[in-house]
Order: sequence, then structure tokens, then C-alpha cells
Amino acid sequence: MTTQTEKNPEIAVSPPKPLISGVWMRRITALAPVWTLLALGLFFSLTSQTFLRPVNLNNILSQISTLAIFATGMTFVLLTGEIDLSIGAVAALTGMICAYMYANLKVQEPFPLLAALGTGTLMGFLSGTASTRFRIPTFMATLAMSLIAGGLTTYLSKGRTISQLPEVAVFLGSGRISLDLPLFGVIEIRVLVIVAAVSLLIGHLVLRYTRFGRYVYMTGASKPAARLAGVNTNIILTAVLTISGFFAGLAGVVSTGRLGSALPDAIPSFLIDTIGAVVLGGTSLSGGRGGMVQTLIGLLIYGTLRNGLDNIPSIDPLLKDVITGIVLFVALVINVLLAGRAPRDKTA
Amino acid sequence: MNATPILQLRKISKRFGNIQALDHVDFDLREGETHALVGENGAGKSTLMRILSGVYTEYDGEFLLDGKPVHLHSPHDALDLGIAMIHQELSVMPELSVAENLFLGRQLVTRWGTIDWKKMYNTAEQELARLGFEHLDVRQPLGKYALGTQQVVEVLRTIVSGARVIIMDEPTSALSPAEVERLIHVIDKLREDKRSIIYISHFLEEVVRVADRITVLRDGQKVATLDAAETNTSHLVSLILGREVNATLPPAVTSADGHILLEVNNLTSDVFNDVSFKVNKGEVLGIYGAIGAGHFDLARALFGMYRFDSGNITVDGHRFKPRHSARYAIQHGLAYAIESRRKSLLMDEAIYRNVTLPHLNRIGSLIPRQSQELKLAAPAIQMVNVQPPDPLNPVGTLSGGNQQKVAIARWLTFPPKVLVMSEPTRGMDVGAKSEVLSILRKFRNDGYGVLVVSSEPETILTVSDRVIVMSHGRVVGHMENKDLNKDVLMRLL
Repeated sequence: MTTQTEKNPEIAVSPPKPLISGVWMRRITALAPVWTLLALGLFFSLTSQTFLRPVNLNNILSQISTLAIFATGMTFVLLTGEIDLSIGAVAALTGMICAYMYANLKVQEPFPLLAALGTGTLMGFLSGTASTRFRIPTFMATLAMSLIAGGLTTYLSKGRTISQLPEVAVFLGSGRISLDLPLFGVIEIRVLVIVAAVSLLIGHLVLRYTRFGRYVYMTGASKPAARLAGVNTNIILTAVLTISGFFAGLAGVVSTGRLGSALPDAIPSFLIDTIGAVVLGGTSLSGGRGGMVQTLIGLLIYGTLRNGLDNIPSIDPLLKDVITGIVLFVALVINVLLAGRAPRDKTA
Repeated sequence: MNATPILQLRKISKRFGNIQALDHVDFDLREGETHALVGENGAGKSTLMRILSGVYTEYDGEFLLDGKPVHLHSPHDALDLGIAMIHQELSVMPELSVAENLFLGRQLVTRWGTIDWKKMYNTAEQELARLGFEHLDVRQPLGKYALGTQQVVEVLRTIVSGARVIIMDEPTSALSPAEVERLIHVIDKLREDKRSIIYISHFLEEVVRVADRITVLRDGQKVATLDAAETNTSHLVSLILGREVNATLPPAVTSADGHILLEVNNLTSDVFNDVSFKVNKGEVLGIYGAIGAGHFDLARALFGMYRFDSGNITVDGHRFKPRHSARYAIQHGLAYAIESRRKSLLMDEAIYRNVTLPHLNRIGSLIPRQSQELKLAAPAIQMVNVQPPDPLNPVGTLSGGNQQKVAIARWLTFPPKVLVMSEPTRGMDVGAKSEVLSILRKFRNDGYGVLVVSSEPETILTVSDRVIVMSHGRVVGHMENKDLNKDVLMRLL
């Protein structure tokens, strides 16, 4: 186009020298969430006496663990540039199925757990299939799925909480095991934290080292280009939603175990918190950029912030959401500003 | 004709860094005149238009409107003074009615502040009738009408808004021949209406027909301003290029002999019409056209990424099934490197991973090992001579030219029968351009087919064996490259 070549004729010849070289700018940009985490950690250690105690740090870990399981699935979905709005409702449903089968139908273990995981996976698969086959945006497909899952939960439970849970769920959600570590001595760790860590680790290995992981990134970076590289993007999209469904199912069982009962309705903050944490870590909503390491950092930021505010007695607990929201805003704005400075392809 | 210029530019200069985009250019526009501006890409047409429409506010020289010096600070200023610009891409609202589009942003209101539909429809009907468009139903959504009609409505909108000077940037590039006729008719009406038009176009024949005067720019300088009646296309071409040109066109190629790798027959869609061509083994076919000629969509259609209504595609004897996918095209021996490298490469990933991406299924293992991948990618990366040559570098750290080499290297590992490339050298410096083009030629010499689709005449002329020229969605020329040069391409448009 004439306008393209004439607008910035000098760029094609010699790009203007930036203040900081591209490589370093990239590194600083990529590390922005880490700086946020360090800044928050430093702030709370100075303002609160209880924040840095091992008990509290352990608390942070268990507080973000359920979120981490959701976030593992959500990272896959966001990396492809899609979204899954059904995770909160699907988790409520799977928790309820697990409890209902055990308490009301007297189904033997481990079938309630398997049924719960299977339901989550199936619902993800259905959202994915509906969205790719009929070209419904995942935003709408998963929103509809969210209604279906929420409705089924209410229907199954008849509005009642079920407190009789299978042992697996209790073990996963609130069990503890002791580990004898060479340097630290015997420490007690929550099973929940281990489940979360294993989820993130598996997610990381799949994204980083498998062919499928590569396709996920490529699909998010550019769907047309992925297709031109021979990638079947429909299969990839269906797969990431299925994965998200599986992890939502797992998170549902785990959070039931943690709370000690299956609630008849979804906890709406799960969805918002999950997306917030993943994006805070630096995974792009438009796809192609980010990963499990980023998600881990995002989770830690989120956990630090929420827990840290609890540890400052002078803050009105009712204002906690407001402050979290503001920090989220600031962190995202910084991310966007830094990303805007990242080197771009001149032809785009 | 009234000889007082309503708009005058005197000794306008504009620099970008060390490039002199405009160098003491004089330009004037009379009332009721259509004044065309022609020149190669980069000659300074767009820069001049951006100054006229208030986009560039810093420049040297004088800008006079009605004989009085003015300085525009924004495109809004320009509109206030009656200077409107119509861009190549339409900016109409297809969902709104014709009348609403005509009054977009300045709807007629009653004294209670509600929209005065009756008055709006009536005025719209009157305006359209005055300009010969009484057959349009002003209550229908504009999107129901063809692209050419939408464009006309956009032109009329500037008039309804009171513009005296209308700048049209490549107004006909996406129009069919019949629609071009209609636009020319509108311009005639505007002339009667004493509106002044600055007309920028690649299509010289059209320019000679439409314009009263023509100004030729070359390398940021004004070469000449001519009366359209006293010139012709070959004269214009010689002024644009700054050298004498041959008056006769080279002979057309009727058939291409050889082992046909890609055959396209009568491909037709809404933007290209009855296009047929062949790419032989060991040959580079170039498809040249101005932006909007339909050649880029044609390339996309080969990969099922642009819908075509009729015609067929055959690769090495295998005819494609209808409504094929990109995967299908790739599996049957085509490969496509699109014009945006940012979209086709993973900028954060290592070079070798970008090269192996389409071939991961051939490695077999679901968990590709780095050593395996490096072994697969290394020869291709070496062949295209990526600088710096470390295959572990992220692609985003490379220059544009080297990124393009990676995009090509991707297809050298397991070569397709025909490699299709859109704008293979866009945004590159001279050295990188010639390197990329020589890689394509080498690929051809190895016995594969190459299809290059471009709007840059230099690229087409450097790399092709045969050239097809497209204009307004149709093939208008088919020649051996050895018979071709820039002036021929320019005249064929």
C-alpha cells in the first residue's frame, strides 16, 4: 500500500535506536509480574508482622491451591485466545455429583470421583465441540454451558447442601501428609497444595515439551497461520476446553472436600479470580503468549494480595475487594503499557 | 473554467529522518476541477495528501486556502474548512440506512432534539436525485447495495457535509469496471456542482479520462503538471519513471508448456472473476496487481481461506474437492507464506521451532526432542542463511528480512510442490529483498513451483519467469518476464 511505505519510509532503512535494547526490553517486560510480586511481598512484610510467618505463607499456598487447579485449565484456554466461562458452574456440578452419588445413591468409591471428573471433562468437550462445529464463540458456548451446569446442580441438590462426602474428596481437599525433607526436617503439607502443584507441573510439561503444546501456542498466536502450518485448530480448541473442563471437575471435588460439604450453587468468584490470576501472571487474553510459569506467578500475586490485606488490621475487610480490584487494574495497565513497547513487526 | 485556485501549496517540504519525502512541491487546485496526482509508491503522494487533510501538521512551505494562508492542526480542522478525504478502505455503516449514512454524524433533528426522519429521507432523496441516483431507496440498509454504490454514498456524504475539496485515495481499486463507470459519472456531476477533487490513482487510463489536470510526482519532487487533454498513458509512464518507454506492449503468452504443478481454472468470487493460470515445475509465476485488484484474495482462495463460487484448482493432477480447508491444500502439496510475518511466526519461540512447526507430525513422537528438531531444521536454516545463525534465538529478535527467511525455511525441510507467497519482500531493505528473492529462485531451480503475489512491481519483475497482471479482479495481461518492465506493468493496470 502506498500509505504504508510512505508513512514511515525511514523505518525500512534503519530502525530508530531505542533507549533500551530490544532484548533487555523484552526481558523487563516478561518479568513485570515478578516485580509486582516482589513489591507486594516487600510491602506486606514491612506493614504486617504476621505476613512472613511460615504459618501464614503456608496459608497463602492453600488459599491459592484450588484456584491453581482452575488456572491450569484456564491457561490452556487463554493461550489459544479463547475463554471458558463455565468453570465455576462446572466445578459446583462435579462437587455436587461426587457428594450426591456417595451420600444419596450410595455408590462405592472411587466411582463418585471418576463420575465427577468425567462430567467436567465431558462438559468441556461439549462446549468445545459446539463452539468449533457451529462456530459459536467460546464466550457464548461456555456461558450457555455455565447455565446448564448451574441448573443441573440446583436440580440435583434440590437446593440443599450435602455434607456427607466420599473420603477421597475429603483427603484431597483437607488432608495433610508429613514429609521428611533433608534440610527442613519434617513438615506437614496439605494434599491440596500437592494436587495444585502437580496440576501446574503437568500443565507446564505439556505446554512446553509436547507437540500439542506447540500447537496450542500457534493456534493462539494466529489461527489462520496455524491452519496454514497444517494444524487442525478445531481439534486444538476442543482439546483445550476439554482440559479446562477436566481441571474444573477436579477443582470442584477438591473444593468440596476443603469446605466439608457440597454447596447447591456455584461460587461465582472462582471464575473471576481464575481469569484475574492467569492474566495477572502475563498470559495474554488474546492468545499466544504466557504459560504455566506465568500463571504460577499470577497466582502468587493474587494470593499475596488477598492474604496480605487480611494481615493488615487497619484495613476494613469490607474494602478488600475494592483494593484487590484497584491493584488488578494497575498491574494490568502496567502489563499493557510494557507490552505496547515490545518490538513489533513493521508489516503487521 | 474559473482559473482562481481555491487551494494552493507552495514549496512544501517534509522530511522523515534522513528521507526527504517531499521536496519543494507546488500544487494548486481550481474550483470545479479534478486534479489527479500520480507517481510510484513512495513518490510522495500520500505524504502530500496527509498534509492537505491535516494529518501531518509539521512541514515547510505555504498552504493557502482561497488565497489566505492556513495551518491545519488536525483532520478535524480540514473538515471544518471543507476539505474531506475519502480513504481507500470504506468507512460506511452497512447496517444503517442509505439516508443515515449520508447524514452520518450530523443527523437532522427536530426542535425537540429527536431525529427528523421525514426531513432526512426527503433531503437524502433530493440529493441523490440531483446526482443521478434516484433509484436508491434511502430507507434500505446501505449494506444491501454493492461495494461501488457504498463508495458513491461515501462520496456523496462529503458533499452533503459541505466539503468543497474532496480527496479520493485510490477510489476505484476495489471496484468492478461497471462501478468505475458509475463513479466517473458521479465525478462529472460533482464538477458541474463546482466541487474540486484531488484524485489519486494507479490506473493511468482512468486518470487521463477523469482528470482535468494531472500532477506527476517522482522521489518527492514535482515533475510536471499537465492538462489531461494533452497527454496519454505512455507519456505519463515516462514522466513517472523518468525515462523514455517503449510504446508497444510485449506479446501475450498464450500457453505455458511443461509439467503443470498448479492449475487454476475460471476461479470466480465476489472480488476476482474468471481467473485461470498454471504454474509449471521449475517456474516462478508472478501475479501483479494494485491493492484491491483481488490477487491477495485469490491466493487465500487456494487455501480455502477465501470463498469462491465457481472454478477449480488442480495440484499435480489432483483436483481439489470443493470447499477445501487449508490443511487439505497443504496435504496435497501447496504451502502458503502470508504477507504478515507477525501472524505466521511464533515471535517468542526459537527459530528451529518455527521451522519444524508444520513437520512435527513427521517426527512421529508426541514429545519432540530438541536434538531431533534441530537436526531436521538445521539444513533449511543454513540454506536460507539466517543471520545470526543460532537456531535457538527467538524469531522476534531477528530483522524483518531474516524473519522472512525463517518463514521460507519452514517449507524447505519437506518442500511443497508449489510455494505460494504474498508480498515476500514487504518492508525489507534492498539487501534483504534480493536475498529472499534469490532463495525463491533457488527453490525454483530445484524443480518446485513458486507463485508470488505482490503489488510491488520491483519484486514481481525481479523474481518471476512469467507474470500475470490483474486489475479489478480480472486477468488483464499474461507475459514472459523477459519482455516486461515497470512501464508495461503500469500501463496494464
